[in-house]
Amino acid sequence: MAVASDSTPPASASPKGPAKSWAQRGGALSLAQRFLTLREGSIIVVTLLVAIYFALNTSSFLTTANFKTLLPYFAPFAILGAGEVFVMILGEIDLSIGAMYLFAPYLFYKFNTSVGLPLVPSVLVALIACMAVGAFNGFFVAIVGISSFVTTLGTLFTFEGLTLIISHGEPKETPGAQVHATTREVSHVVNGHHITLPEQVNHISTFAKIFGGGVYSELIWAVAIVIVLQIVLTFTRWGLYTVAVGSNKLGAAEAGIGVRLVTVRNFILCATTGGLVGILEAVRSGTVQPDTAGGNEILFFGIAAAVIGGTLLAGGSGTVVGALIGALFLGILHDGLTLQGTNANYLLLYLGLAIIVAMTLDVLVKRARRGYHSG
Amino acid sequence: MADAVIPEQSVVGPTSADDDVLRVEHIAKRFGPVTALRDVNLHLRKGEVLGLLGDNGAGKSTLIKILSGFQKQDTGKMFMHGQPYAPRSVDEARATGIETVYQDLALIDELSVYHNLFLRREKVHRPLPFLANREMKQRAREALDEIGINIPRIDVAVARLSGGQRQAIAVARSINSDADVLLLDEPLAAMGAKEGAMILDLVARLKAEGRVSIIMILHNYVHVLEACDRVSMIQDGVIALDKPTAETSVEELTEIVVEEYRRARQQAQAS
Repeated sequence: MAVASDSTPPASASPKGPAKSWAQRGGALSLAQRFLTLREGSIIVVTLLVAIYFALNTSSFLTTANFKTLLPYFAPFAILGAGEVFVMILGEIDLSIGAMYLFAPYLFYKFNTSVGLPLVPSVLVALIACMAVGAFNGFFVAIVGISSFVTTLGTLFTFEGLTLIISHGEPKETPGAQVHATTREVSHVVNGHHITLPEQVNHISTFAKIFGGGVYSELIWAVAIVIVLQIVLTFTRWGLYTVAVGSNKLGAAEAGIGVRLVTVRNFILCATTGGLVGILEAVRSGTVQPDTAGGNEILFFGIAAAVIGGTLLAGGSGTVVGALIGALFLGILHDGLTLQGTNANYLLLYLGLAIIVAMTLDVLVKRARRGYHSG
Repeated sequence: MADAVIPEQSVVGPTSADDDVLRVEHIAKRFGPVTALRDVNLHLRKGEVLGLLGDNGAGKSTLIKILSGFQKQDTGKMFMHGQPYAPRSVDEARATGIETVYQDLALIDELSVYHNLFLRREKVHRPLPFLANREMKQRAREALDEIGINIPRIDVAVARLSGGQRQAIAVARSINSDADVLLLDEPLAAMGAKEGAMILDLVARLKAEGRVSIIMILHNYVHVLEACDRVSMIQDGVIALDKPTAETSVEELTEIVVEEYRRARQQAQAS
């Protein structure tokens, strides 16, 4: 302190200088502050920076083809993150989505092939089963009073195990997702000459196109689900009560909010998103793959999307759009590192560091926000 | 030797008046080994402000929670407008006309002022399920202005408000409804002198209107004598005193508390 004051101008001048420039920059500053204090603000900035970095450093990042390859690394996590946000705002967590991701497609397969239900009803039955598991989770958390981490860890293992048992761990061809290839003659103009060449064209059923098989199918599902759930969170009682329970459970109960109902409802929602993503991915890949490693990985990516998107594990605060951007961040990082030729082994390392950085930013932003408004 | 003249603790039995809104008879409540309420008898007349006094742990908040439907008594009966009153939930109590401002405020820090004001009574764009935020904001502003509470911005989260402002919002929330009975659990806690005066003003204005009856837990005897028509004192799970404030004084109220303390000490020495 003493050393610094020697070199600074007279004390009377120093408070005036900064005060003036702060006032001048007030407009831009408050705008920047407003943006950064948006719950998604910091992650939007980070995601843009990462995207710009890859756009400058790789030739193929900004291409339609690459956007298509990016989608499967993004859309499923956005959907899972959206469901998880509803549980995490309550201050809870749902690990069972990893099991629903495996369980639902297998049920869908079983109801279609063994029971003989048509495709769409089979999907519905599988999703209803996931809702039942969600209700089970919610019951144990809200009514029995077991911590959600423990409860859903239990259902995660239980339903992953159950899926392995009933499927014998064997991959199956996804019903309704078969690809029919036909050839057709396509004419090209090469050096001014018309030449006609046979090309293979893949056809999939309308069902498959809708449920994950179409190129943009998962993206459309993700965007639609995020929009609907963000509206539910911001503009309906459901969302209001979710925030209320997560922010002050006792206060919410005293105000007359049915804390148990709100909790059970959100666990049902979250488990359903897990099942839906499982079915979409099974249709997209054409295989029902009872692989618990895949389930566990997608579970943590879904939670990562929500956390990176600014939803607090402590509850009370979070946004669905944030989870979408969190998922986009994950997708861009995954895809960009791949394009750059980064060793795949580095991916998790970078991802982990990115999550820690994002979380630190979030804490700092929150601190800034609190300091800014306590006046 | 002087200890021997301490009178026995008096217990107020069931009393009533013709214009009772709420009557409570022989309420008892235990939490495991702890007896919170032994035998509570209480009545509240229309338009009356009843001050509820008592030491920490005497059972005031438990009584409020039973009245508001948040907890259920073990034994005893309650009557609203002469009809048996046994709420199974806060919603049901509210539907019967009892609104509560809890000691822990029941405010949701992360929600805005107007969402807190309308919590559980949200306006929606019928038949759509969407919250009518603009309408709620406007009505919240009107309600706060009418009550005379100055909150600069009603769309900020209540976490950013001062203790007094939060209390004022909690009180405003209960007044905002068309309740017959208001239960205020320590409305002056966490308040500065100015904000406390604002709340007492508010109670005085409600009393002048005469529409709503109020039970108010207070700690400050001066406030009780100033703001209430009648005072009931809970001691050790029973009502030990029930008097119009005009017939009592700070000295008498203090004496009752001191007696209780002496009695407890005597019992402790005897055992």
